[in-house]
Amino acid sequence: MPERESYFAPASEPVPEAAPIEAPPLPDDARLVLLLSLADDELVIGHRHSEWTGWAPHLEEDLAFSSIAQDEMAHARLLYELAEPIAGRDPNVLALGRKPEEYRHAVICERPNRDWGYTIARQWLYDEADDVRTGALESTSWKELRDALGVIRMEERYHLDHGRAWFRRVAEDGVTARDRLAGGLELAVPEAMALFETVPGEEALLSDGVLARGSADLLAEWLDRIGSDLESVSLDYVLTGHARLGEFVPTSSGEVEERDELTVPGVERRDGKWVHVGGFAGTGGRHGRHSDDFGPLWKEMTALHRAFPGASW
Amino acid sequence: MDTLERRVWDALASVPDPEIPTCSIVDLGMVEQVNVNEDTVEVDLLPTFVGCPAKDVIGEDVQAALRRVGDGHAVRVRFVYDPPWTTDRITEAGRAGLRALGISPHWEQPAGGPVAVSLMREAGTPCPYCGSADTVREAAFGPTPCRTTHFCRACRNPFEGFKEKPRLPSTTR
Repeated sequence: MPERESYFAPASEPVPEAAPIEAPPLPDDARLVLLLSLADDELVIGHRHSEWTGWAPHLEEDLAFSSIAQDEMAHARLLYELAEPIAGRDPNVLALGRKPEEYRHAVICERPNRDWGYTIARQWLYDEADDVRTGALESTSWKELRDALGVIRMEERYHLDHGRAWFRRVAEDGVTARDRLAGGLELAVPEAMALFETVPGEEALLSDGVLARGSADLLAEWLDRIGSDLESVSLDYVLTGHARLGEFVPTSSGEVEERDELTVPGVERRDGKWVHVGGFAGTGGRHGRHSDDFGPLWKEMTALHRAFPGASW
Repeated sequence: MDTLERRVWDALASVPDPEIPTCSIVDLGMVEQVNVNEDTVEVDLLPTFVGCPAKDVIGEDVQAALRRVGDGHAVRVRFVYDPPWTTDRITEAGRAGLRALGISPHWEQPAGGPVAVSLMREAGTPCPYCGSADTVREAAFGPTPCRTTHFCRACRNPFEGFKEKPRLPSTTR
């Protein structure tokens, strides 16, 4: 093997430009959409977690987020392997060879990490949501999915414990830490609810027994769960006092234009439980509609795959 | 008895986990099934952790080891997820191999010690060097997806733990 002067020695050949994706559309199949929704959530939030590698507030958290990222990407790969026969595409191509509008993750997964408060808020909310939906899928009629999720859930226990431990630690800490967490929760809670946006084809999946419970039912369980936890640290006001997700811009006629992204989800406390009473924020992910935050992430995540199609190492 | 099946198991016992070289894949309980047919040898393996980067290497090493003893049989190696791999599949030799590398078999309870109620057990993981239970967990994550990091207050050594994957009621079918 020729000796290299340094790991950063210039490449002997110029790096090719990352090519745009040119592929026929994916088959219209409800099972595929379900798998991609689950897998893309894991891949994209895993990518965001990996951005803490080298930068987390302390070494143990550097390890934790790097390790969680590695798990999430592996879970995504396992689900892409299940999708391969339906999609007719190799798992690597499914992970990295789709156009941005073919990704089915919820918008919250693509948001930048912002600060530690937002990071912890999102990780906790996401892993509670993931636990609710994968728990419901333990009784799916689809054996391969049940087996895969059985293994995935054992590893997710560690993510859930991490999110819960940090939620409590920051919530019960001094004023600054608590305020940062509250700020993160105000931004993350409305969009986290859209993790339970109805999956296209959900009715068919419910009648086949692939899904045991509908999205609205899962959202109710999650909201009840996080509602009690938030109450226990007196942070439940974030459920109703959401931060504005945009600005109202009056039109020339002076009317305020109603825009989808300004919708604030309704949450109320009824009979001792927090319940959803209509409205969502940050939806569209399950249909392939994403925020401006996804473009740069997609470009970076897929650059190598697009520059060197079919590369393996 | 020198049957092909015996030789296949011996070959599997010679394949180490590349990240835990003191343990073979048999010690770690990764071999679920071996089928020797007229012209094929089929092996089903259970991956320990889904994100284990050693998985692909193990698959290739098993292929190579089986081809060496296979008498021209076709070799098929699969990774399967049913049943799920759990830490209780690790054999006594596997536990010894982990300890030799400074990795505590995490799920072992120290004699008379506290009973773990959470995967995030803060204290009490037995030290692989001196055996003391006077230890603290520093992080539930470590250098690989399967490890945690700890410190022993008795012998003042940092050590690692193997992440427990318990046989949960919901996953036993």
